[in-house]
Amino acid sequence: MKSRTLKRTRADFLFSFLLDVPALLMTVLFIIVPIVDSVIKSFQDYGVRNIISGKPGVWNDFANYLYLAKTDAFTMASIHTFSFVLGVVLLQFMLSLVLSLILNTEIKGARLLRSVMMTPWVVPTVISALIWMWLFQPQYGFIKYLVDLVTFGNVKDFAVLNNPQTALAGVGIAALWKQIPLMSLLLLAGLQNVPQEINEAAMIDGAGKFRRFVSVTLPYLSPVIKVSISMAIIENFKQFPLFWTMTGGGPNNATTTLAVLSYREAFVSMNLGSGAAITTLWMLMMVLVVFFYNRIFRVQDLG
Amino acid sequence: MKKVVVFLLVLAMLSASVFAAGKTEAAPAGPVTLKVANYALLESGYEPFWKQVKVDFEAANPDITIEWVTAPYGEIVNQVVNMAGGGNKVDVIFGEIDWVPGLVDAGLAAPVRDILSQAFVDDFYPDVLKSFEVEGKPYGIPLYVSPYVLYYNKNLFTQAGLDPNKPPKTYDEMLSYAQKLSQLKDANGNKVYAFGQTTASVPVSGASLTAMVFNFGGQVLDAQGKLAVDNQGFKDAFTMVQKLDQLGYNPQNAKLKDLRNLFALGQLAMYYDQSWGFNGVKSINPDAVNFTASAEPLKGGNGVGASLLQAHCFILVDNGAARKAALSKFVEFVISEQTLSSYLRDLTPAYPAKKSMATMESVVNNGILKGASPAAGRVQVQSFIPRISNLNLELCSLAQAVTVGKQDVAASIEKFKNTASVKISQ
Repeated sequence: MKSRTLKRTRADFLFSFLLDVPALLMTVLFIIVPIVDSVIKSFQDYGVRNIISGKPGVWNDFANYLYLAKTDAFTMASIHTFSFVLGVVLLQFMLSLVLSLILNTEIKGARLLRSVMMTPWVVPTVISALIWMWLFQPQYGFIKYLVDLVTFGNVKDFAVLNNPQTALAGVGIAALWKQIPLMSLLLLAGLQNVPQEINEAAMIDGAGKFRRFVSVTLPYLSPVIKVSISMAIIENFKQFPLFWTMTGGGPNNATTTLAVLSYREAFVSMNLGSGAAITTLWMLMMVLVVFFYNRIFRVQDLG
Repeated sequence: MKKVVVFLLVLAMLSASVFAAGKTEAAPAGPVTLKVANYALLESGYEPFWKQVKVDFEAANPDITIEWVTAPYGEIVNQVVNMAGGGNKVDVIFGEIDWVPGLVDAGLAAPVRDILSQAFVDDFYPDVLKSFEVEGKPYGIPLYVSPYVLYYNKNLFTQAGLDPNKPPKTYDEMLSYAQKLSQLKDANGNKVYAFGQTTASVPVSGASLTAMVFNFGGQVLDAQGKLAVDNQGFKDAFTMVQKLDQLGYNPQNAKLKDLRNLFALGQLAMYYDQSWGFNGVKSINPDAVNFTASAEPLKGGNGVGASLLQAHCFILVDNGAARKAALSKFVEFVISEQTLSSYLRDLTPAYPAKKSMATMESVVNNGILKGASPAAGRVQVQSFIPRISNLNLELCSLAQAVTVGKQDVAASIEKFKNTASVKISQ
């Protein structure tokens, strides 16, 4: 009997492993291999000529990485990327939390609002970028018209994307518009799973609204918060279409993030080696950020 | 057993879907198919012309079929490179002169004399052909050429009390005209910009800025392709870019297509463009034919108003004897008076690159280009370097630094020198 059970367990394990093989194969082929290939190319002299001729790249003594150190482009791109991620993720979390708390109440039209709210999320990113580019358009854009109206004609040349001081914020607004719906929806789902009986018990014990939110709602919501912020960090760290469509990295490189810089190197300058070097460093940064984020969150959980 | 069968079935289906795309293409046998990469098929106004080219060429050459490879303007080179990487090379790319050095460096472009007949190539103006040379060999063949021309709106000139038949000839004259033009409003009360010079972060804006440096008698690269910006003309050009911004005459950070849009809508009085940019203006406002005129590039500082040669060209790829012969026929068919006559008259005002096409009616009597015609003799050749796109993007960054960045011209040029020298040496 025991041997039969063991046989059965082994067969089940084998079968489940076999079912996993396609997923493993896909992961290795389409994720692991390209990453390893990109890291290798970052140490090589590798250009379009190599792709076309099929000749392998040549080791170039870290020249691609040394090249990045010769100008401030990589440093500035890293600063822009981190500023963008920090600003967008913080604002996104705060606004999404407020929105989800409102939608979790019994307000009139909440269901309709939930459906309407999802619209930006379903719009393709490039289309979102074009919409916001037109809204910010410096000659005939709606925002320019609105600012002109509100300031009684005192501010005539309001051009968010043309000013190096405001361009990053302009792209950030487009990113928030696009991403808030999903985070709100995730947080709303989390809120709806907070047990009402605990809330009621806290209320009977004399806890006020704020106290219940901090001591009951937030702890129950923390796994959802952790996942949704992780997703937001990754999404904005690798944000490319909004930047490329809205500003192309300008003005005066004020919105050149690591994504834009690596694309420019690889596909505009046709230098795949230095493009790969940027991508490698960028990937390392993203891994570190997510790693430390997860650690901080784990410590908080234990606390 | 059932489980194993299910698993094998899943794996087989997966393998089929993964590897189906990797099948090798059979070599063409018998009739030849030419793959022509052409972004213009996706642009308004150009599609009917190119479709007609295919119909007419295939009718005249029944053994040759044209297969279009299309992608938007900004993506077509990547498309061609990716295809070539997969072993599927196109035969010819319709593109800009600035694409040539990159495609030569990539090992994709072939010397035109290896593919086209001697008599056909010899019919091109030697100076024009020289603009396409890399190490002494031309690597692209132009359909037509143009310097950057100054387009202006005759109606706005009249409204500002200026003579619409006397466009400015120097930058100083332009500034005095601009003072009057900038006081105007369009029918909806919108500001009218006096002068447009593209500075947005795209390579073609960098080429346009190079043309402006030439206007002032300056240079960007020396004859050996080395960075050479320690000259007064270069500094004067970017000082002018800054001045235009400070006076509010130039739309900030604009692409050529933004300038075309503003010009078509009557919100821009003068602007620099490639001559064929007028097609973009006309597609937005067909009435533009009635108010548009062209003028020679402006003279600035010690310059004589020289400009940069721009061209739409064919970049050829060597795909073996049969396809080379067919390609030669296709190129000769397109770059002919018969094919380009209506195109240059109705769609794309430009100058022919072949001596035998110099007296074409559609060019000689082109009202839009008339004013700019003397400038055709003052085009200056820019040395070809493989990283020309990098250089052009750095020129855009410099223009943005002195305009929207509000930085000092001399300091910005110093920073540009450091960055650009690294970028073009990589």
